[in-house]
Amino acid sequence: MSTPISRRTWLTSLPALGGLLLTGCTRETFVPPRVRGGLIGAADVLTMSTNRMLLLGQPLAREYPRSAIADPFPTWNQTNPGNAAYQRHLKEGFKNWRLPINGLVARPIELSLDEIRSLPARTQITAHVCEQGWSAIGEWKGVPLQRVLESAGGVTPAARYVVIDTFDGWYEGYDLFEVAHPQTLLAYGLNGRDLPTGNGAPLRLRVERQCGYKNLKFLRSIRVVDSLAGFGRGTGGINSDFGFHWFAGV
Amino acid sequence: MPETLRPATDASSTVHSYNVRICHWINVVACAYLLVSGVHIFLDFPELYWGHTGYRGYPAAFRLADWGLSWDDAGKLGDRRWGRNYHFTVAWVFLINGLAYIGWNLYSRHFRDRMLPTRDELTGAHVRTELRDQFRWRSGRHASNGRYGTLQKTSYLVLIFVFVPLMILTGIAQSPGFTAAIPALLDMFGGRQSARTLHTIGTVMLVLFVAVHVLEVAAAGSFKTVRSMIIGR
Repeated sequence: MSTPISRRTWLTSLPALGGLLLTGCTRETFVPPRVRGGLIGAADVLTMSTNRMLLLGQPLAREYPRSAIADPFPTWNQTNPGNAAYQRHLKEGFKNWRLPINGLVARPIELSLDEIRSLPARTQITAHVCEQGWSAIGEWKGVPLQRVLESAGGVTPAARYVVIDTFDGWYEGYDLFEVAHPQTLLAYGLNGRDLPTGNGAPLRLRVERQCGYKNLKFLRSIRVVDSLAGFGRGTGGINSDFGFHWFAGV
Repeated sequence: MPETLRPATDASSTVHSYNVRICHWINVVACAYLLVSGVHIFLDFPELYWGHTGYRGYPAAFRLADWGLSWDDAGKLGDRRWGRNYHFTVAWVFLINGLAYIGWNLYSRHFRDRMLPTRDELTGAHVRTELRDQFRWRSGRHASNGRYGTLQKTSYLVLIFVFVPLMILTGIAQSPGFTAAIPALLDMFGGRQSARTLHTIGTVMLVLFVAVHVLEVAAAGSFKTVRSMIIGR
């Protein structure tokens, strides 16, 4: 038991060591929160650290011309959560919907949809890349997640991940490097209109450098944490709980 | 044992070096995994498109349903979770093994001494003779003298230095992370969906290459050829 763990610790420390030399990067930037055993885990670390080394300068994902937009935008998986609270919000036009932002932030807050809309917006025409193989381009309008965290006074020094959970029972963890990216957006608009129910109304996440399953729909809450160990099966997200990659950059 | 009694270790009688043999068999296992896992990933979305965009309902370049396997039946056969986990794991094995092979053989001058066709071998007459032998299933005589034929040399070099790099590039051109870092990957192949389509076509071509390769092994005498790829002689 002790041998694979020490080997894994050694293995996963290598990219972290390089990362610590760079400002704003921590071990979490290069290594998934829980590294799987065996060759698959080693490959996970290689894939994530290689990707992040290439992305250290936080370049923007490709933004496309308006002519490339898919309208109507395709819908996939859950298109209308049956959850009673969601159905009530849907009926009320999300008037009483509030997004709590809590955990390791200076001032925990709750934001209404109007308050989120009043924050400085960003519009980006980017490709949604589903891990199953499809991709479609949409014009997303929303607030950078980083800006929303600043509304809560910013994250504390102990913060390492942001956990987002949704009305359809999904949750995912994101390291602060992903959160800090200018295209990491809480989107309320798609193709010039309010975000449709089928695409995640009232608010969905855009992480343009990761596959579709990291781009959660139907957002319910945002929590800043120092560890993802206490959520779900402890792998850091619902998709990795079910055996998919936690880092979905490929 | 005196050196003279060990002809087996004499370089001139060795058909394949340790490095070539070890990398070859790692590569066989890696490619088998890449193929099976890739097929699993494909079956869960059995359509191909051209350009940046492609989704169910968008005009497709290829639909498996047109060839008799419906979307749902393909989905039942494909397990993309298994497929993705193994494809992206074995891709690293394939890459590291390939780099070790190339690095070692550049260092040992294997490429220059044994795989680069000589000027004589590139003459029209020589190539014609080889082609004629090829279609009469007599290509084995090149293998029997422990040297690669011109056609063999050329196809291996194109495979290693052109085809495999293109497979890797069309693979990572589908990744949202790699394309954010290297946007040229999107332009190189005309979009993410084009890259996926080319990656699939490349897979079919690789399977055909392996089929021909195995036929060649059979034509040159399976026992002798496989033995030399295992024990070197």
